[in-house]
Amino acid sequence: MTIGLNHYLVVSIMLFCVGLFGVIVRRNLLVIYMGLELMLNAANLALVAFSRFNDNLDGQVFVFFIITVAAAEVAVGLALIVALYRKRQTVHAEDLTTLRL
Amino acid sequence: MSYLSILNLAAPETIMVMTALAVLAADLLFMRELERGTRQLIGAMIGCAGCLAAVAWMLVLPLPEPGSLMQGLFLVDPLIRIVKVALLALTIFTVLISMEADFTQHIGEYFALILFAAIGMMFLVSTEDILMIFISLELTSLSLYILTAFNKRNIKSAEAALKYFLFGGMAAAFTLFGLSLLYGISGSTNLAEIAKAVSGKSVNGLDPLLIAAIVLTVIGFGFKVAAVPFHLWAPDAYEGAPIPSAAFIASGSKVASFFVFAKVMMIGFKGAEGSGSLQAWMPGWVPTLAVVAAASMVLGNLAAIAQSSVRRLLAYSAIAHAGYVLLAVMAVPSPLAPHTSPLGPLVYYVITYGLTTLGAFAVVSNVQQRTGGDRLSDFAGLARRAPLLSFCMLIFMLSLAGIPPLAGFFGKFYVFTAALSSGGKSLGLLWLVILAVAMSAVSLYYYLLVLKQIYIMPSTDQDTPRPLSIGSQAIVFALAALVLILGCAPGLILEPVMSAIKVAGL
Repeated sequence: MTIGLNHYLVVSIMLFCVGLFGVIVRRNLLVIYMGLELMLNAANLALVAFSRFNDNLDGQVFVFFIITVAAAEVAVGLALIVALYRKRQTVHAEDLTTLRL
Repeated sequence: MSYLSILNLAAPETIMVMTALAVLAADLLFMRELERGTRQLIGAMIGCAGCLAAVAWMLVLPLPEPGSLMQGLFLVDPLIRIVKVALLALTIFTVLISMEADFTQHIGEYFALILFAAIGMMFLVSTEDILMIFISLELTSLSLYILTAFNKRNIKSAEAALKYFLFGGMAAAFTLFGLSLLYGISGSTNLAEIAKAVSGKSVNGLDPLLIAAIVLTVIGFGFKVAAVPFHLWAPDAYEGAPIPSAAFIASGSKVASFFVFAKVMMIGFKGAEGSGSLQAWMPGWVPTLAVVAAASMVLGNLAAIAQSSVRRLLAYSAIAHAGYVLLAVMAVPSPLAPHTSPLGPLVYYVITYGLTTLGAFAVVSNVQQRTGGDRLSDFAGLARRAPLLSFCMLIFMLSLAGIPPLAGFFGKFYVFTAALSSGGKSLGLLWLVILAVAMSAVSLYYYLLVLKQIYIMPSTDQDTPRPLSIGSQAIVFALAALVLILGCAPGLILEPVMSAIKVAGL
């Protein structure tokens, strides 16, 4: 059996769903971040696969930018967690309850 | 293409980057010893000077050849220039509003982040390439997350920022996955190239990959413009963020996101429109947006009625307005009337909406400085304490509700007309327009609730409030005057926009 584009896409969609599931279900903010990273990397995998099978390099260039942006995003996200932790001593999503109707 | 011509095309952005770095450097190197007020004044002045220089560059110097760099990676045409000038004007007003703020000691970083967010928006509107769209979207978003968290003394600020970040991060992942599918379909990152592949794919029914790409992209941008059901971050971010940050999220970021949303849909998904008419429902991106728009208008307007915080009320009103603007995005010119581009009404609507919300936030900022809160009851009796400020709030609220002759009325009028004329004689989007008009009537109720507090309820605070500064009032007056003038003379924006659209051939 040869591995074709569809195999890569299925893996990538599964990664995306795992990430999304993690974001929705998990309660710890750090694990939610991991879910977000997983979703971004699912897109990376799809882009590299498309790039390989479309025979052009635009997709791989795209991936380099995404990796950089994801790093910046995590930096900002962790800074926000630290800011919250200093005030509240918690990293759990269910404790984010100050803002209500 | 030489570097000099590249610099010529991207000069406004270059000026803005230099300004942001200058603000940072000035604060870091020379102003550590000064008082906070002075540092704030100097920082704001540098920021405004930079924005004004960029505006002047675009307005005074003749347009360089409408050109594009690297196959649509960076475009310059008259329409984009108008949107950029509007974005810079909103940035200037945001910087001026933040001059009064007293929530942070990190002045340089604060103004630099506002400018970086503005740079992201400028790049966002001047590109037709999904790679650039993603990067500038992230530059804008990341700056806005930090701006939201900037009030370290307020417990709400960090929480609001975290919620904004989580929803925004998820939206970014959705957008990115959608864009990666688009790249896979077309083998190119350029919107026009993508459109060619898309219309080839949608000849006999939609490709499943294309459907997934449409849905994911709509979800991603839907988060950005706070449309239902992706709106959950908006009320929290508007309430928890420092007021200038919230005002910038509500105005500048909306203008840029809607413009690029419309462009991605109209250019990138050309040929996969489908039909949102009730009689002839056809899958495509128009019916997808129709559902989102209808939900936004209904839920935004109904939820706004129940709010007791004015900032949350403005957030839900923003959600409702997102629904109205989506009508313009959906108004694809039909083959029968190809010359009625909906981009004109859209640009007019989002610019006037941005100015109006910014003004409303400036009034809220004034009230919060005096009373310490933004509840509806904090506005009670404002008319007796500050009659001019109250009159400005009257203008903003009535404009948001769409009362003539204010800018909000004409914005709605043009958008609804564009939506009606898009389907040719069949009036496909008529049901949405009827819903929008009915919901505008509902919205008048909660805008009047605010005005009732201001004009009819007796004042509740006993202690003598702090006097208002002249500067912050002047900003509010300027914004109110703009809303009034643009309402009386909509041609001031609409005519240049329409001629620019003809040049751009959209």
